[in-house]
Amino acid sequence: MHTQTPRREAAVEASSLVKNYRSRSGVVEAVRGIDLHVTEGEIFGFLGPNGAGKSTTVRMLTTLLSITSGTARVGGVDVGRQPDAARHRMGVALQEAGLDPRQTGRELLTLQGRLFALSAREAAERAKELLALVELEDAADRLIKGYSGGMRRRLDLASALVHEPEVLFLDEPTTGLDPASRLTVWDEVRRINQRGTTVFLTTQYLEEADQLCDRLAIIDGGLIVREGTPGQLKKELQERMGLSSEPTLDDVFLDATGRTRSRGAGDVQEVSA
Amino acid sequence: MTYAWALGRRSLREAWRTPEALVPTLFIPLFFLVVNVGQAGKIFPSGSTPFLKGQSYAAFQLPNSLLLAASFGTAALFLVEDIEGGYFDKLRATPIPRTSIVLGRLIAELAKGLIISAALVLLALAFGISVASGVLGFVLVIGLTALWAVVFVGFMQLIALKTRSAAATNSGGLIFFPLLFLTPNFVPRNLLTRPMEIAAQVNPVTYVMEALRSLVLEEFAWSAILPGFAVVAALGVVMVWLNVRMINSYD
Repeated sequence: MHTQTPRREAAVEASSLVKNYRSRSGVVEAVRGIDLHVTEGEIFGFLGPNGAGKSTTVRMLTTLLSITSGTARVGGVDVGRQPDAARHRMGVALQEAGLDPRQTGRELLTLQGRLFALSAREAAERAKELLALVELEDAADRLIKGYSGGMRRRLDLASALVHEPEVLFLDEPTTGLDPASRLTVWDEVRRINQRGTTVFLTTQYLEEADQLCDRLAIIDGGLIVREGTPGQLKKELQERMGLSSEPTLDDVFLDATGRTRSRGAGDVQEVSA
Repeated sequence: MTYAWALGRRSLREAWRTPEALVPTLFIPLFFLVVNVGQAGKIFPSGSTPFLKGQSYAAFQLPNSLLLAASFGTAALFLVEDIEGGYFDKLRATPIPRTSIVLGRLIAELAKGLIISAALVLLALAFGISVASGVLGFVLVIGLTALWAVVFVGFMQLIALKTRSAAATNSGGLIFFPLLFLTPNFVPRNLLTRPMEIAAQVNPVTYVMEALRSLVLEEFAWSAILPGFAVVAALGVVMVWLNVRMINSYD
């Protein structure tokens, strides 16, 4: 008898998600009806060129932007209908580390804890734990304006974890970081995921997606154009194009987004199709 | 209110840690007090100027300086910094009522307004100005000034939330200067020319200024004091309502 494996619970789910903006030149369709299914416990990569709709999608999923049509659920909660309940289930670290430079790291985390309804004592304890987790104990009582880019990123990650969210949204978490800081953030993301948190990550770095993500989706022009594990996507391209060697994720990305890459004299030039 | 209070404390820390933004709110009003008294003080000697009620012209000018001190609206510029830096979105991603974010700043502005106006009045006392309505009058003077600060920063926050731009918010604050000068700021209303008197009559700042002036120059004249409080109460309700509306629809 054939038994069907039950589908694992969705940590993030979007159905026909649309975002339109009004501009002087008319209506801009930033996201044009996307479906997403992110399974509990995975690291999901969301890739796309600039202006493809990545950040707009993340802002809708995290309740920061209204949804034109369609539905989105995080941790089983409808973000449009019950935004406060959804906010309890998600942690958010957006493109620029959203920190207050005039607070210390400890003050910022303690305040964040208070805003998630922890008591003063609980918030202070949680701040201490998180500062240890992201190895910022020595800098805990210094003003954030004196932190390096990497320290800010780690503190931003910590602040998104104050309330032990089920899903962590990271919007380009390593943009602008040096290679060493980038590797540190990758380690943090893996550690957070190993503790059971689902990670929804947007990035422009394909190596980052290849290293970190269990599955990924590529968005272009407001539509999902590829979805699968990095291995599946590479294999699909290899078979479709009849390539002798396995393509890289860069090749998958360029193929999916209609860009081409011309190689010449040892350098790489990317041009728009 | 717990969340608004927590965010208000954060805004006060922010102000305390930015003395370069705080110092001008004391220095510039004092500067205008000295300049205005220096320019017009001799025209209005206290002995022969009935509207001074025995006080110096500096006492008559003190409310101008108090209102100026309460109309810097730096909290709104800090709000723009939060928006531009991404911290505003971090706050919006928490499950607190969004109104707490704007109310927190308004609470902090009230506290700052109380401290700055108390400092200004105490400095004025040191230079021989007295508050004729006594200790209770002193409390009402700093209370009314601080409430005006809340109204004004509420207005500035509307510009900040709408434009999300420091330059636009800063320019919006300049609207106060015409309002400050379309008041009986150098002489009482009955001594203004007719067009200026009409302009002053429709200008809400006039009533706040006259209430403050009454508390400084004479014992409790409620007919002058109450309109001032009524104006800040009415404008305060409107500003809080508009702020709440604006942040609830912020996208």
